[in-house]
Amino acid sequence: MQNFLQILVSGISVGMIYGVIAFGYQLTFATSKTLNFGQGEALTLGALVGFSVVTALIGMGASPLLAYLLSLPLVLAFGLAQGSAVEWLGVRQAMKTKSEAGWIMSTIALGIIFKNMAENIWGKDPLKFPSPLPENPISLGGVNIRPMEIAIVLGALAMMLAVELFNRRSIYGKAVVATSNDRDAAGLMGINTSLVITFSYALSSLSAALAGVLVAPVTLTGAQMGAALGLKAFAVAIIGGLSSGLGVVVGGLILGITESLTGFYVDTGYKDVPGLILLLLVLSFKPAGLFGKTAIKKV
Amino acid sequence: MLKIEKLVAGYGKVQVLHEITIEVPKGKLVTLIGSNGAGKTTTLRAISGMIEPSSGSITLNGTSIAGLPSHEITRLGLAHSPEGRRVFPTLSVTDNLLLGAFPRLTGKRPKGEVEKDMQRMFELFPRLQERREQLAGTLSGGEQQMLAMARALMLNPEVLLLDEPSMGLAPKLVEEVFATIARLKQASITMLLVEQFAAAALDVADFGYVLENGRLAGSGPAAQLKNDPAVRAAYLGAAH
Ligand SMILES: Nc1ncnc2c1ncn2[C@@H]1O[C@H](COP(=O)(O)OP(=O)(O)OP(=O)(O)O)[C@@H](O)[C@H]1O
Ligand SMILES: [Mg+2]
Repeated sequence: MQNFLQILVSGISVGMIYGVIAFGYQLTFATSKTLNFGQGEALTLGALVGFSVVTALIGMGASPLLAYLLSLPLVLAFGLAQGSAVEWLGVRQAMKTKSEAGWIMSTIALGIIFKNMAENIWGKDPLKFPSPLPENPISLGGVNIRPMEIAIVLGALAMMLAVELFNRRSIYGKAVVATSNDRDAAGLMGINTSLVITFSYALSSLSAALAGVLVAPVTLTGAQMGAALGLKAFAVAIIGGLSSGLGVVVGGLILGITESLTGFYVDTGYKDVPGLILLLLVLSFKPAGLFGKTAIKKV
Repeated sequence: MLKIEKLVAGYGKVQVLHEITIEVPKGKLVTLIGSNGAGKTTTLRAISGMIEPSSGSITLNGTSIAGLPSHEITRLGLAHSPEGRRVFPTLSVTDNLLLGAFPRLTGKRPKGEVEKDMQRMFELFPRLQERREQLAGTLSGGEQQMLAMARALMLNPEVLLLDEPSMGLAPKLVEEVFATIARLKQASITMLLVEQFAAAALDVADFGYVLENGRLAGSGPAAQLKNDPAVRAAYLGAAH
């Protein structure tokens, strides 16, 4: 039982990371029916930019926690800029020419370019991201939890909640929802819908960058770190449905927990299998996802 | 106010409109009639920037708007209640109305009193008030039509384009829609109205234009068009 709870805890924090990245996929899918297949690399860059800022600040005498907190606005701003660039360079043109596959190829290509850039700037070897919180687990009812795991869950929830509030409360958020509902009609309201789509890409990369700095302290940081995460989060977005915010959280948790259960009770080598089986099952029986309404088209 | 000259537009390589010229003077109600597929909706789409005209000129208060993206045209004061209602289904009635005032709420047009205008919409369409928190997608067709009109009015527009506001409504509601249009006209709102009920549209309008296969087939004061034998035979049917 204790083991089981322990596994549950680590599954939850990994699952929330998947959830945040998948949430990013949803943001752009909602407004433009396109996705950034370089989402994993957006995560990588966020983590590495965070790494550089944090180590620089620590070098200047800041504590790891202070350095981490100070780095967050920079990392998030970097995510916004990186996402806007992806939309500008990779998506806008493809959407203008109504090319079905154009944005897929170009976002994958940009992802590869970003990964090469990361390898050239930060090297190919994994780096140790200074942990902002104590690395020793605290014991809660016999279950050991690392403080960073709690921070991951809280940070992920805060991010999604903030976007949800923005969409519901502010007139700009409502403009984003209107664009997702009916782009032409939103244009008639005086909403610059291309700007809304750029913004959703910016926010999508911001989610990935945040996921990057949340996960970096508990894993190895490096140019390779985003690829697998981005792919699994894609599975989560499909499992949870591309239109349901709650869906990606639940989907992320399902995947995170099944992975850590398989890793413990079966074999770590097989830990990626159940998620992929789940993905195949969902795609064959409920292509709109467990919670979603819109099926992904021609991808 | 709104001047359209030799407008040519279509979809892709298919040309639908052939050198259409229409003028909508300030404070007047102009109606555009024609059979299904004549190009009425296409005309309104080209005016509001939903499609790009291939040639011709469109000016709003002397400013050329041909070829501008639709959000910029809206910000210049042109509201378009499109064919098929196109309300935002996952947003509430109130949010749909607020979005109609988006340029006013974001500093792109004089703000005025948005709250008060919303109240006026609820007076004009009491049914919407009862359903203010309901999601627009769950409204009946008639209610959605009222919402689409109210949403367009929330811009405080210089010119309002209405595309078949009575489409799909029960006869009693059609009467209501025309009564509302008459009230808007009394309030001196400049309008370009496209309607399937040509007779009723000509009754309420100041001027009329007749569109046939993408070409203008006639125009004149509404009362005169209504008595034109050719127009009567083609569009007003046996009822008149
Ligand atoms: N999106 C489109 N793509 C291609 N052709 C279109 C499109 N929309 C309309 N058309 C064509 O343009 C022509 C004019 O259509 P339009 O919708 O303007 O007619 P209308 O006068 O509004 O008719 P109705 O009274 O049925 O609404 C028609 O032949 C139609 O088939
Ligand atoms: Mg039409």
